[in-house]
Amino acid sequence: MLRINKLNAKIDSKEILRNFSLNINPGEVHAIMGPNGSGKSTLSNILSGKKGYEVSGEVLFEEKDLFELETEERAHKGIFLAFQYPLEIPGVNTNIFLKTSLNAVRKARGEKELDAIEFLKLVKEKSKELKFDEEKLNRQLNVGFSGGEKKKNEILQMSLLAPKLSILDETDSGLDIDALRIVADGVNTLRDNKNSFLIITHYQRLLDYIKPDFVHVLMDGKIIKSGGAELALELEKKGYENFN
Amino acid sequence: MKEQLQKDFDNTIKNLTLSQKDIEIKKFYLDNFINKGFPNRREEDWRFSDLNQIIKKNIGELSFYSDYTSTNKVDTSVFVDGLEHNKIVFINGRIEKIDFDYEKKDQIEIIDQSETINKFNNNSPLCDLNSAFNNKSFKIVVKEGYQLIKPLIIYHTTNSKIWSKNINLRLNFELYEKSSLRLIDLFRDTSEKNFLNIFYNFDLKENSILKNYKVDKFENKNIKYSFNNIEQDKNSISETFILSSGSNFCKNEINCNLNGEYSSAFVNGIFSINNNKHHEIRTIINHLTENTKSYQLIKSVLEDSSKAVYQGKIFVNSKAQKTDGYQLSKAILLNKDSEFNAKPELEIYADDVKCSHGSASGSLNEDSIFYLMSRGLNYQQSIELLINGFLLDVVEKITDPEVKNLIKNMIGIKE
Repeated sequence: MLRINKLNAKIDSKEILRNFSLNINPGEVHAIMGPNGSGKSTLSNILSGKKGYEVSGEVLFEEKDLFELETEERAHKGIFLAFQYPLEIPGVNTNIFLKTSLNAVRKARGEKELDAIEFLKLVKEKSKELKFDEEKLNRQLNVGFSGGEKKKNEILQMSLLAPKLSILDETDSGLDIDALRIVADGVNTLRDNKNSFLIITHYQRLLDYIKPDFVHVLMDGKIIKSGGAELALELEKKGYENFN
Repeated sequence: MKEQLQKDFDNTIKNLTLSQKDIEIKKFYLDNFINKGFPNRREEDWRFSDLNQIIKKNIGELSFYSDYTSTNKVDTSVFVDGLEHNKIVFINGRIEKIDFDYEKKDQIEIIDQSETINKFNNNSPLCDLNSAFNNKSFKIVVKEGYQLIKPLIIYHTTNSKIWSKNINLRLNFELYEKSSLRLIDLFRDTSEKNFLNIFYNFDLKENSILKNYKVDKFENKNIKYSFNNIEQDKNSISETFILSSGSNFCKNEINCNLNGEYSSAFVNGIFSINNNKHHEIRTIINHLTENTKSYQLIKSVLEDSSKAVYQGKIFVNSKAQKTDGYQLSKAILLNKDSEFNAKPELEIYADDVKCSHGSASGSLNEDSIFYLMSRGLNYQQSIELLINGFLLDVVEKITDPEVKNLIKNMIGIKE
């Protein structure tokens, strides 16, 4: 589904990713772990189309060159990024945003756009699953939301847009145990033999709830080791510094 | 220009039935204007908007005489749908229709004033020009305790019959005790290159409420200046909202005198301009007695090489203890060539007051655009959503729900 081949990325002539390669097949869950500044967020930004990076190498999503797609086209094709720091958008009603987003994606996928009633039914259902306070849907997008609510809102958007590849950028940071479980449940519900996940995290904790098929250790912009779920435990024990 | 003014003035006088004394007064104002000419950047109030240059550049030579003897046909297609309202219709500066069908006839009085006395306490050349050339001025009186059932919309329409003309309008409003008026000024122009010069005076008696919504939304190539003088007695409230968008140049000036205790004034506005448009809002709020309040919020969205100016002054005299004054302006510049100028002024002579001001400008947040686009919205949709979000809180300040919806629809804010 996703093939990253020798990806290099620079920002302001500073090298962040070096010869980074990774394959993700349909249905797989990959975790990338790494210390601060190792390039984790850069990777997720580049995959979802953020501007400002100088890139070389190849990234194919379902055999299409990702760099030829605009940010919104990547969303239409099924890439979703759950932000590490979801933005507060003053004056934009959460419900209106969700509906605009969902219908933009549905339209691009050739599906019927939802009317207000159909949308509300769906969003209520999904909110309930995620224990996301429905009252928040009528508030301004993420404005005044707690850290946990913002992250749940990301997962709500993920479950509405039903992406093929979901990238979770430190979604676990700032979550309490209950919220962590809810977020993990949200991911696990979407998990099947077609949908894939790339989970970026510092800690092994989230992986107790979302069992990864592969774990990769990212340091200085490249993967230094890959393995199964047990690698995360080893990493937790040894720490990044002593890992080489 | 002097010869043109003199000639046009003589023609104007010929068509009016004025006493010799009135003619003398008008002549006095004409001479004042001839001496001063159009305001230019050397005057502090016009520092950011040199009207003399703007007229030269956009219009060239102006003529000041209009033939008001024949009537124009009212184009009913400009009327606002879905909102029952009273109407005054100006076409090319001539009053064609006054209609208070929804109101009790004995509660509103319309007085035809040919008197030319300058009530504005304003010796600006534009006021002189207006006094010299305005055709007819009306006074609209709302009687004690009467609250108009429906809003009044004043349609300022112009059509292609006029070109390079100066049009001067003047209206007086008197709101008696406990009365209220919702007034919408709606500009609809199909003409080009004219200069509209509008003076309103409002007398707000005790406990009266005025809501004035000025809507210059529709694209046009005219130049507009509008001056509101608002005198407020005890407990009166004035709410002014300005949507400044459609004209090539537009300057709205609000002068508000809070003469009575517990009177309050609210001025909120939006600049939404593009191309080479140049718009300004100038406010002077005079807190002249104890316990008065003023609040101002101005937001701008500036595209291309457009330019917006907000000069807001809060004056507090030595008697005006417990004044509460606030003003804030925020601007989003969508292009490196767009420009926002803010000049906040606080002039305070009392010691027990609460006054604050602030101003900020910047571009749209790239991260916010990326966030929205990563959810499938295209660039245009993302920008529109962010801009609407930015403007929403000003629109929410409109206290009249019907007018609020009207304005939301005009700006394209969805709910």
